[in-house]
Amino acid sequence: MKGWRWLLAMAVGLGLGFTQGQQPIKIGALFILSGNFAGYGKSGSQGAQLAVDEINARGGVLGRPLQLIVVDDQGNPEVGVREARRLILQEKVDFLFGIDSSSVALAVAPLTDEYKIPLVVTHAATPALTEQCRPYVFRTSNNARMDAWAAAALAATLPVKRWANIGPDYEFGRVSWQDFIARLKQLRPDVEVVSEQWPRFGSTDYASFITALMRARPEGVFSTLWAGDMVIFARQAKAFGFFNQVKYFVNPVGAALEVLVPLGKEAPENLLVSARYWFLYPNTERNKAFVDAYRKRFGEYPSYNAQEAYAGMHMLAAAIAKARSTQAEAVRKAFEADGGLVYDAPEGRKRMRPEDHQVFEGLVWGYTKHTQDYPFAILDRLRIVPASDTVYPTQCKR
Amino acid sequence: MDLGFLLLQLLTGLAYASTLFLLSVGLSLIFGAMGIVNFAHGSFYMLGAYLLYAFTRGQAEAFWQGLLWVMAAGLVIGTLVERVLIRPIYRRPEEYQILLTYAILLLLEDLVRFLFGAGYRSFPFPPAFSSPLLLLGTAFPSYYVFLLGLAAAFAFLLWAFLHRTRLGTWVRAATQDREMLEALGINVPLLYTAIFGLGIAMAAIGGAALLPLQAATPGMAVDAVINAFIVVVIGGLGSVWGALLGAVLIGLLQAFGILLFPEMAMAFPFALMVLVLLLRPWGLLGRPPAVRT
Repeated sequence: MKGWRWLLAMAVGLGLGFTQGQQPIKIGALFILSGNFAGYGKSGSQGAQLAVDEINARGGVLGRPLQLIVVDDQGNPEVGVREARRLILQEKVDFLFGIDSSSVALAVAPLTDEYKIPLVVTHAATPALTEQCRPYVFRTSNNARMDAWAAAALAATLPVKRWANIGPDYEFGRVSWQDFIARLKQLRPDVEVVSEQWPRFGSTDYASFITALMRARPEGVFSTLWAGDMVIFARQAKAFGFFNQVKYFVNPVGAALEVLVPLGKEAPENLLVSARYWFLYPNTERNKAFVDAYRKRFGEYPSYNAQEAYAGMHMLAAAIAKARSTQAEAVRKAFEADGGLVYDAPEGRKRMRPEDHQVFEGLVWGYTKHTQDYPFAILDRLRIVPASDTVYPTQCKR
Repeated sequence: MDLGFLLLQLLTGLAYASTLFLLSVGLSLIFGAMGIVNFAHGSFYMLGAYLLYAFTRGQAEAFWQGLLWVMAAGLVIGTLVERVLIRPIYRRPEEYQILLTYAILLLLEDLVRFLFGAGYRSFPFPPAFSSPLLLLGTAFPSYYVFLLGLAAAFAFLLWAFLHRTRLGTWVRAATQDREMLEALGINVPLLYTAIFGLGIAMAAIGGAALLPLQAATPGMAVDAVINAFIVVVIGGLGSVWGALLGAVLIGLLQAFGILLFPEMAMAFPFALMVLVLLLRPWGLLGRPPAVRT
């Protein structure tokens, strides 16, 4: 008798917990949770979880709570597709979300057509993803071309002409450099390229690349080394006096906390870096509230990937609310309507371009500097690149 | 191209070679003497890096004591792993070794992620090597000089051990004929424990010594073991000198390859590996497999 009562109480409690027995809206998130890039996936899933909790605390969407299911795609396209299919067929998710690696995103994207399940990408940055013009693929974070164009807009204002590159030897590194230098030559026809170095992605020794670069005597160096590659490169290059010789070191992904926190007080100063979001910018109540909530919940500062996942989840919730439905076609229309969905994220205004489903936003850059207040380098002398400087033409039509 | 720069590039190539040698020599030693393909080798390398971080609490001043502790810990861990996990599978087919050592790799990756988190850990240069040397007007990180010395010391001590001590003679004999060694009354299982402990200690010291130049992360083990296999496949799996030769070849190929063909320098080590596999599948200094009767 006693056990029966207990069970009844639990059933009632559960029913209340799920807002009067409403079916949750299921969102299947793919992030890298193992291997060298697990730090990025952890940030992304934390940001998404924080947004889901906020949305559920105010009653969910369409009266239904959101349920987040996070899986590890290992940054591997085959695993990503397998997990995405499992989320759709077994977990019956309504949406796919997240994705760190561009190759995983490109592999998962066709499933959105096959199953009519929308995908909201919050990290993977290859421009090719949105240039495929798929109806149910949306990207709420900026992509590598926008980063490269922002870098070029800043580089064009610098008093240097001799440029070089050191980037990871795969699609992201190669395409970013092409976009950067092509754009820079448009803005400043007098620049010249003196060296290009392509270390293998995941290299642990950059010595011979550093000496070869220094020999070419570049004044500005563009780099898309990221994650551990940037941590290791920065320390080795510093030991060679590389940053004393090169006047400007420009890296659109160098201000990731996944890079600056491990570098700690050893980070070189005066690197011109960005990271899609910088937790100290903008100085608004909205951003401060987000940073405080995130720190309270997870005990660390939000990295760009955390904020992008957080904002992406809120944008998805806004689109569902606007569509009054979780059906793919209705959500697509909600994202595209009225000149594209607008959302005021902690980092500022995000607007989705209806044609290619790519979000555009102002980008924050700055020069690394050490202060008393943080155990890692922060951004100083901020340079804000307006969204309009990153709007490249698209081939998509709606 | 001036001579000074070529010399600098030679040094950076040799510095890279020392890191590869420290990483791969233990793998080759263990395979040569015991016939174990140790996929978990990279994990002990990673463990060395994390242990240094833990023993020193990230303080560069404690680097030298930390290195000694890592060496001791590597010996103990290697010995235990051999006694508890490896010993039962000597007489099983080779697939068991691969499955078992791969399982160890996965377990250790999750263990460090649990203990240290998923991010990167970096470690400053020890104070004695914090400022660069001036070589031909170019700054050259003095820590590379230490690594070159450490790799050379490893190579020399290993040579002296294998060729100038009785234990070393037994180790070499174990690579030739284990039954004969047992027939001579030598405790081969104990010898194997010692070799495995030594090989793992070398991996751990390698990981710790490279930490100031690199960064520790739970996923580094897989990258490390792949690099180590490339080195020993080129040099000859089982040959200590092969590991040295393989490391030097790859280091120099990278350093000079990027000067000649910067677009495709990364392909050279793999091209070399393919070439070696086609022409001398047992590696440059390896022994062709004996015909068993």
